[in-house]
Amino acid sequence: MSRSLIAIRTMETAQIQELIDMAVRIKDDVIHDRKVSVAKRRTVGLLFFENSTRTRVSFEQACNYLDYRIVNFAGSGSSMNKGESLKDTILTLKHERLEAVVMRHRSSGSAQLAQGYFGGPMVNAGDGQHEHPTQALGDALTVLERKGRLDGLKIAIVGDVMHSRVARSNAWLFSKLGSEVRFVGPRTLMPSSMGMLPGEVHYDLRQGISGADIVMCLRLQKERMTDGRLSSIGEFRRLYQVNRATLKWAKEDAIVMHPGPMNRGVEVDDLTADGPKSVISEQVENGVFVRAAVLKWIFEEGGVS
Amino acid sequence: MRTVFKNGRILDPSQELDVIGSVIVEDGQVVDLGEDVEIGEYDELYDCTGLWIAPGLVDLHAHLREPGEERRETIKSGTQAAAAGGFTTICCMPNTSPPLDSPSLVDFILDKASSPEAGGIFVQPIGALTKGQLGKELGDLAALKMAGVAAVSDEGGPVQDASVMMRAMEFCLQLDLPIMVHCEDVTLSEGGCMNDGPTSAMLGLPGIPRSAEEIMIMRNGVLALNTGCRVHFMRLSTWGGVEMVRQFKYLGAPVTCEVCPPHLTLTDEHVGEFDPMFKTTPPLRTEVDIDILMQGLADGTIDAIASDHSPYAPFEVEVPFEDAPMGMSTLESALGVVLTHVTAKNVLSPLETIRKMSTAPAEILGLDAGSLIPGKTPMAQLVLIDPNMEWVFDATRTFSQGKNSPFHGWSFVGKPVLTFCGSEVYRDSLFGEERYEHSLA
Repeated sequence: MSRSLIAIRTMETAQIQELIDMAVRIKDDVIHDRKVSVAKRRTVGLLFFENSTRTRVSFEQACNYLDYRIVNFAGSGSSMNKGESLKDTILTLKHERLEAVVMRHRSSGSAQLAQGYFGGPMVNAGDGQHEHPTQALGDALTVLERKGRLDGLKIAIVGDVMHSRVARSNAWLFSKLGSEVRFVGPRTLMPSSMGMLPGEVHYDLRQGISGADIVMCLRLQKERMTDGRLSSIGEFRRLYQVNRATLKWAKEDAIVMHPGPMNRGVEVDDLTADGPKSVISEQVENGVFVRAAVLKWIFEEGGVS
Repeated sequence: MRTVFKNGRILDPSQELDVIGSVIVEDGQVVDLGEDVEIGEYDELYDCTGLWIAPGLVDLHAHLREPGEERRETIKSGTQAAAAGGFTTICCMPNTSPPLDSPSLVDFILDKASSPEAGGIFVQPIGALTKGQLGKELGDLAALKMAGVAAVSDEGGPVQDASVMMRAMEFCLQLDLPIMVHCEDVTLSEGGCMNDGPTSAMLGLPGIPRSAEEIMIMRNGVLALNTGCRVHFMRLSTWGGVEMVRQFKYLGAPVTCEVCPPHLTLTDEHVGEFDPMFKTTPPLRTEVDIDILMQGLADGTIDAIASDHSPYAPFEVEVPFEDAPMGMSTLESALGVVLTHVTAKNVLSPLETIRKMSTAPAEILGLDAGSLIPGKTPMAQLVLIDPNMEWVFDATRTFSQGKNSPFHGWSFVGKPVLTFCGSEVYRDSLFGEERYEHSLA
């Protein structure tokens, strides 16, 4: 049996836990130069409709740890530039007998749609503004290493919540594991009603991060200045930048996270990004281990290690 | 040729009639009806015991897609779908390719609709309000009127410029031509693909705020009030919109409005896990909106129910939600939805249901339809409805080419079982053979 990873929202807590446990073991194997045991050598397609060097390389390296074979599809030069539909692209990969597909796509919900056509295991590497589950899993592993647990923590997710798949995946993950989630950002970048999204909304940074164990900055995209949601980078920085001064409102031992790529001096200042509270490099490192865990998990029900 | 519809419940809102009786049609025209009409000799007889006999349904708002978008629907398949849905007159929207902005295209549609292959019902074209439906320059509206359009509209690409709309209303007042408006401020809706609310936030889909609709209802209502032009608001979806229309009517503005079956039954939560079958414009809203829309129907603020039949080809819908087109194929499910979710819940009586789906739409655009009064319409248009028939709607087995229905698999109580437009144009397979007698060779 195989399974897919589409969204943290639809996962059971035990599955999330299982994936993190697997990632811990894989990391231990890699650090101690042991070969990661897998049931079978698999062929995985990396299908990135949106450019993302970071996430693609992370998945490639994860495949290296597992000794999987990789087939790479880039955004440009492929059939979708010729107008092929997502359905037909996925059906082609299916009939080329790829055993799993890792996909990044600009549209929310595309991962689930593609899984329906593919039939086999599909890993969502980011679908629109919906979810980015492997990012959240890597973030969880990082928090676990630093805090020793994933429950009973306060995590403040700061910035452009509306457009962030990272915010959604992390909110689901940390709330499912028993931590308290807060969304912090301007009204123009916050959904008008959060609905079932688990988290308390704050428009004030000080209130939002006060007492937080984790301060997670989100990337602010330049288009927010042209679509009328923000007047300037300066306005955002004045109200929401995480820096040495504002970080004082969080817990003494708070850690600072960022999914990257960072706009240094916007969401977070240099001193904080490179400072002792920053775990940003660990997030990148752990991202590879959780992706390896995911690529093993989708094929090996029961999580044989 | 004498046809008798015997012993049914006659529901004719045009004469406030709700009696058990018979309807006599001679040579395609209603000649008599009522409780004690003389049956006499006949060539064919429909035993309507237990059925409703109503004027054929009238749809203010359907997309037949021809010319230019035959992959989605044709006039032939669309009129057949309409006949199967109980409709005998439907208005087709001008957003075809090219848009319906010239008399020759009006002729083309009327020709196609009256060809023997088509569904045998009347098609009433709606003309484009502006040239090419671009919202900039008025179309040749007098020419369109003379060619036979009943109203003009820019449909889903509504006029944004208030001065263009004001001139259009002034000119249409002079022509006595109603304007049908889809109310959407695209500066607020642009990029959005579903109601801005909890579900859009959760799914990470860009939302369309209700303000986008309400602001345009307000603008168009004010312009209708101040110019005196007849304005028909299409497909209301928000509770605020209903309240605004109520106010405009109170102020004496010559406005009417419609609601569509999906907005009376479905909410944004039905989008579920990105199901593109539930994507439409305006977007599905909330339970509160449904409540107020139902109230608006009951108290008369909402004049009519229209199908907003918007068929698409399968491949157009098999895409990520954001890329999917907006609209639903609804002609064949509309009456089932309304009977089950509006009439059966006592929001509308049977007579009022027929008024909203036949008599009122005909009156709004001055169409020869929606009545069983002898001589009132050039051809007898009626539908037989079995109010108790339980059936399951199967969107894969429709006359419409558009299989994009949110109601696939839904159970309904009440079904159109026979449609008559001068002659029989549709008979349901469940219409009992024993109900029909004839002496025709």
